[in-house]
Amino acid sequence: MLSYLLYIDPGSGSYLVQAIIAAVLGIAFYFKTIWLRIKLFFGGRKKDNQPGNHKENEQV
Amino acid sequence: MAGKKTISRVTIKKMSRYKKHPASYRDPSGFVFEQDGIYYRQVNKMYAANYELLIKSGLYDLLVKANKMLSHTEVEENLTGQEDWYKTLLPEQLRFISYPYEWCFSQWKDAALLTLELLQTALDHGMILKDATPFNIQFADGGPLLIDSLSFEKYDETKPWVAYHQFIECFIAPLLLARYQSADLLRMFQLYPDGIPLRLVAGMLPFKSFLNIQVWLHIRLPNMLPAGAGAAQKKAPAFSRKKMKHLISNLFSFVQSLSLSPVKTQWNNYYDETILSDAYLSAKKKIVEAWLRELPASTVLDLGTNTGLFAEVAALTGKYTIAVDADTACIDKLYTRCRKEKINDLTALCSDIVNPAPAIGWQNGERTAFLERARPDIVLALALVHHLVIGRNISLQQLVSFFYAHTTNFLIIEFIPLSDEKAHQLTLHRDFQDRAYNEDVFENSFSDCFAIEEKAVVPFSDRILYRMKKTGIPL
Repeated sequence: MLSYLLYIDPGSGSYLVQAIIAAVLGIAFYFKTIWLRIKLFFGGRKKDNQPGNHKENEQV
Repeated sequence: MAGKKTISRVTIKKMSRYKKHPASYRDPSGFVFEQDGIYYRQVNKMYAANYELLIKSGLYDLLVKANKMLSHTEVEENLTGQEDWYKTLLPEQLRFISYPYEWCFSQWKDAALLTLELLQTALDHGMILKDATPFNIQFADGGPLLIDSLSFEKYDETKPWVAYHQFIECFIAPLLLARYQSADLLRMFQLYPDGIPLRLVAGMLPFKSFLNIQVWLHIRLPNMLPAGAGAAQKKAPAFSRKKMKHLISNLFSFVQSLSLSPVKTQWNNYYDETILSDAYLSAKKKIVEAWLRELPASTVLDLGTNTGLFAEVAALTGKYTIAVDADTACIDKLYTRCRKEKINDLTALCSDIVNPAPAIGWQNGERTAFLERARPDIVLALALVHHLVIGRNISLQQLVSFFYAHTTNFLIIEFIPLSDEKAHQLTLHRDFQDRAYNEDVFENSFSDCFAIEEKAVVPFSDRILYRMKKTGIPL
């Protein structure tokens, strides 16, 4: 079964590379989420106004 | 007794009739074979569970409906007679096979994005892509398509992507070389059909690529790991679905961010910038279109297509057209236009007609030469002859035998006399004036092997179009 799973060479250390990349991306994602929350806190209300503006445009 | 004998004879006959595809030996899950001119795929017993999962999970149906995977029908017969047999699949037959080293940048990018999309969709169905080579992708009906139905296996959430390294070496590496150096380097895949080694890629990327974090993560990081890191593979911490999701979306945005900086090549603005007038082009289009419509043929090969003005005319007459040019920027333009305007009967490929892709792989049998794959009923050679004869020193005799060998029936060819400005430009730095190159010599050279059916001087120029039919014996 093992030889079947590995019929292509996964590449020396490629699992380790993926683990490191996933960790880096996980951290980046964590900070990105926090940043988005901050942005939403300060700028969230602006978005609420947009659909209203859109409707006015449509009526015109 | 007689009945038994008959059965065994039939079995022997069947067993000896199939021919395994020379490139289909890597994956023990099954293989492709040809029988009576039809391509089949055998699924081996060891892949049975994964095959059933592919069908039952709905993954196969979804991908086929979305035109992202080649469809097949199951044939309830063991055509190879092998004990290992589980199922025989009859895939939808492809009209033409192209190889990645013949693709332009946009084709590579689309193939890479499709591979990631397949991976993502597979994960949603409890499966994962177990290999990621561009040889599993073909361009048919306008877009990229997965042709290897045995590429999926059951997803184990604790494991990283087994084909990650292959994806980086086979897709990201060529795309990065094209992005940072030259799109002509995509042809390097011909030298490294199993993937361009990362050490080589890292050395070829310029200093400015150091600013790209993705290049660090996917190209430089693996090179920085100590040689023994492979042994630590088993000890690597367990992976998770969430980590896989992050990895895929990162690769998606990486591939999507790659684009070529607009370069001006000798050819990609040819029609816009040259003295060739619109009147000349539209007159030529009319003649070529009328001739093409009259011919009882189904496939066209347009040599030196430039941005495919005439290949498009051929495709719109309902004939399947393969359009080639050595200039990758031209092919990129043509491919992008065909996708946008849904011209599905046209395959655009990068191929230099004086140096087309050779046969490569184990015993030179895995990937066939370009000219062996393209067997057109009509060859289009428009505004090409002067480049080959004057620019590349190919004699008219050589041209005649080339066209004779590579069209099954017809040839539409344009003769460009020395009085033409383009031809004249080519002779400026060459000692060409003494050579026999005129209308009479041209016609005489072809008359041994071809019959001239139609002849027309293209209005607003000195150029002459010929429609010829193959006759006689080759030189």
